[in-house]
Amino acid sequence: MYEPKESLNVTAKTVEDAIEQGLAQLGLSRQQVDIEVIKEGRRGVFGILAENAQVRLIPRKITPPPPVEVVKPLAEVVKPVVVPIETPTEADLMDTFDVPRLAVASTDAKFTQEQITDFSVKYLDGLLKQMGIKATVIAHIDKDLAEEGENPPLVLDITGNDLGILIGRRNETLRSLQYIVRLAVNKYTNSWHPILVDVESYRVRRRRSLQQLAKQMAERAIASRRRIVLEAMPPYERRIIHVVLKDNPHVTTKSIGSNDNRKVTIIPK
Amino acid sequence: MKELVEYMAKAVVNDPDSVIVREIEGSSSTIYELSVTPDDMGRIIGKQGRVANAMRTLLRVAAVKEGKRVTLEIV
Repeated sequence: MYEPKESLNVTAKTVEDAIEQGLAQLGLSRQQVDIEVIKEGRRGVFGILAENAQVRLIPRKITPPPPVEVVKPLAEVVKPVVVPIETPTEADLMDTFDVPRLAVASTDAKFTQEQITDFSVKYLDGLLKQMGIKATVIAHIDKDLAEEGENPPLVLDITGNDLGILIGRRNETLRSLQYIVRLAVNKYTNSWHPILVDVESYRVRRRRSLQQLAKQMAERAIASRRRIVLEAMPPYERRIIHVVLKDNPHVTTKSIGSNDNRKVTIIPK
Repeated sequence: MKELVEYMAKAVVNDPDSVIVREIEGSSSTIYELSVTPDDMGRIIGKQGRVANAMRTLLRVAAVKEGKRVTLEIV
């Protein structure tokens, strides 16, 4: 059984070193902690003016992750919907068949957020059951993930044991789940709704670490007056980097390379 | 797993009643043949096969859980 430990502050030459030392001390992997960079650290000139980096590692409790936050979108309140998924029985399988049948919606039908949430959770729930996966879907509206000028997305977080299989190589399975759920919801409501399918808050955590990486690398680019090329990432991950650095007056960002090999480059101005 | 294919396909097409899935058991793998009305062909395949590929990915996950090999064909 995993026991939550206290958070730990580590000081070392670089942020990376500090994180590694801290993880070694805690005996945890990077996925099991939240990382907060307290001081970026500086290499200095010939060791003069050098400053150590400091990070705080906060072990996270593994199960169950709390529903992040339930935000009230304008007038409606969306309750987190929790649907436990049992091993599918014959009756269940028949039952879930009714869900896609709802997909005949009239063009001008208006759907409340509650209906959309309800349908999304039921559909994803049924999909996982059909795939033979035991998990729980928790829905919440996440204000923090809202894109500019768009409604905050409905996040469907899948929690359970051993769900690595749902993320897949390069995120492929997770993306497929999200794509099918979005299509089903679009079909049902006849309109587009921002929906994110997540596993154990993987996307939320990944986003957070990308944002942190972007800021760190921008500082490094500015300090060294050299462009920095990040590793290849899928489009939505590159986008996170671009968005974070959009308002930074000292750098510009650009994606280079083609197809699966596109990399964000951070260029000091 | 036949039900999984139907579950996904029916949610994507305009005419769920015409969704037919045939399960063909081979010696080493199982083939799922999915057919829809001609009008829904585009929806089931998607731009550059995105929908079909997403369905294949999820089907593969289910197959791995059962230790099977599967292919999805759209006919």
